[in-house]
Amino acid sequence: MHIYVKKLIITSLIFLAFNSVNAHHSFAVEFTAEKTIAINGVITEIWFRNPHVRYYIDIINEDNKVESWDIRTSSPSLLVRKGWTKKTIQVGDRVSVFGHPGRDNRKLLSVISIKLPDGSSLGKKYPELNELGEK
Amino acid sequence: MNQFINLMNNWGHTKFKTIFGFNFLFFILTMSSISLAKSPIEGEWMIVLNGKKAQIDNSIIIGAPSDNKAPIMGQFSIKKLNGEWLGHVEGGPVPVKINNNLIEIIIDSRDLAGFSFNRRLTGTFLNSEMTGSFTIEGATELPEPGGDWIATRVTPKKTGLSPAPQDMTGIWTPAPGMDFRKYSMDLTDKAKLWHKDYLDHYDQPNVRCVSPGIVAMVAWGAYPFEILESENKYSFLYEVDSEVRRIFKDSRHPPEYYPTSSMGFSNGRWDGNNLIIDTQLLEGNVRDFRGEPISEEAKMNEIYTLSEDGNSLYGVITLIDPDNYKKPPIRRRKWVRNPDTVIYPYECDPDSFYRQMYNEDKIDMYFDRAQRRQID
Repeated sequence: MHIYVKKLIITSLIFLAFNSVNAHHSFAVEFTAEKTIAINGVITEIWFRNPHVRYYIDIINEDNKVESWDIRTSSPSLLVRKGWTKKTIQVGDRVSVFGHPGRDNRKLLSVISIKLPDGSSLGKKYPELNELGEK
Repeated sequence: MNQFINLMNNWGHTKFKTIFGFNFLFFILTMSSISLAKSPIEGEWMIVLNGKKAQIDNSIIIGAPSDNKAPIMGQFSIKKLNGEWLGHVEGGPVPVKINNNLIEIIIDSRDLAGFSFNRRLTGTFLNSEMTGSFTIEGATELPEPGGDWIATRVTPKKTGLSPAPQDMTGIWTPAPGMDFRKYSMDLTDKAKLWHKDYLDHYDQPNVRCVSPGIVAMVAWGAYPFEILESENKYSFLYEVDSEVRRIFKDSRHPPEYYPTSSMGFSNGRWDGNNLIIDTQLLEGNVRDFRGEPISEEAKMNEIYTLSEDGNSLYGVITLIDPDNYKKPPIRRRKWVRNPDTVIYPYECDPDSFYRQMYNEDKIDMYFDRAQRRQID
């Protein structure tokens, strides 16, 4: 299973222009807006509930160990209005997620964009590899 | 002054009393008139920021018609106290510098994501108007450009007008703009003491699926609400937290022993074409993400006004809670009519909160902080 995590800082503010999970509590307290990272892994749990939709994803970290990350998006009612439903992502799907990491090295990620197995994007358009800094 | 004259009389020296007393009296009166004279800038102003179009389209979350005519507005109070300028915007304190007819106001605000930033307004003032430009300082999630600002004097509104009810029924989606989102408020010592230990996120009610209360909810920027009208009341159905409030059209009192609650007890009346809602019996809660307290003695006043075309709804929301705020905090909102949606269900599960605390070995902290969730 080839799963990887890439950390990088994106200087362009364009990726900050996605008001994702912040409809009803303070994003600034939990997440690092000035930093973005990309992770890739397999969905293990789905919580399509308020106060925000969550996905748990297993990734292999830089020490080659499995880590579970808590991926957070918006509330269900705001997502489903855009066609993003409970069935859009399934347990077992391999996805890439780009977003703002949790503060204090917590394994939280506030979603800017998710790349689905078919290559399509949820949220903002998923950044190109060169934008991510990946080789 | 009388004491001074009496003192002079008691000295019994007529000439001294006449000459020195008159001069001294003149001096005192002159100085008093200078010190008591109200500076022309003192009083109440309405600031309007005309920022360049920014994040407007992206802020309409639920497909409502786009609206880029939503300037940010806020009431600015300025007076001189003990030789220092004392300024407030929307009830919160702001540093003010004035040099001749030049003025600088720094207004701390927060964006939707909770980031605090300053708007620095510089400009000039004449008797009836201030004009200038503003810049943004500090990080925001959605960088906001600066722009121009203008302030005009607030004139007292006519009240007691004959009721002229408007049709506000329908679904309303929050529109961007209007609200300064003033960050700091003028807290009483009691409120400061309570607030200094507030932990953002951990003490926030809605992360545990507990209602944030109508004071926070009414100014929320993401979810629609629906207004229904029946014979004796309006019903406001909020998508967030699936909350419902009833606004009685008459001046009835709440039933005896009616409890405090997140929605409180509301009476509404028409003053001209403005719907005025007064709410009492609010449960102790926090005003917004920042965690400033609201006491159970607090009252909320809302003024709703429909646009001429009936497609926009404006609200001014004032919290009156002298126990916690020296000046009432004010919020402003605009909503746009949105017949293309319905109120969606809002099921909430606090698993995310408790699991995170458990994973971070902080679950005891939740119970240790139980008293923080009881606000009288």
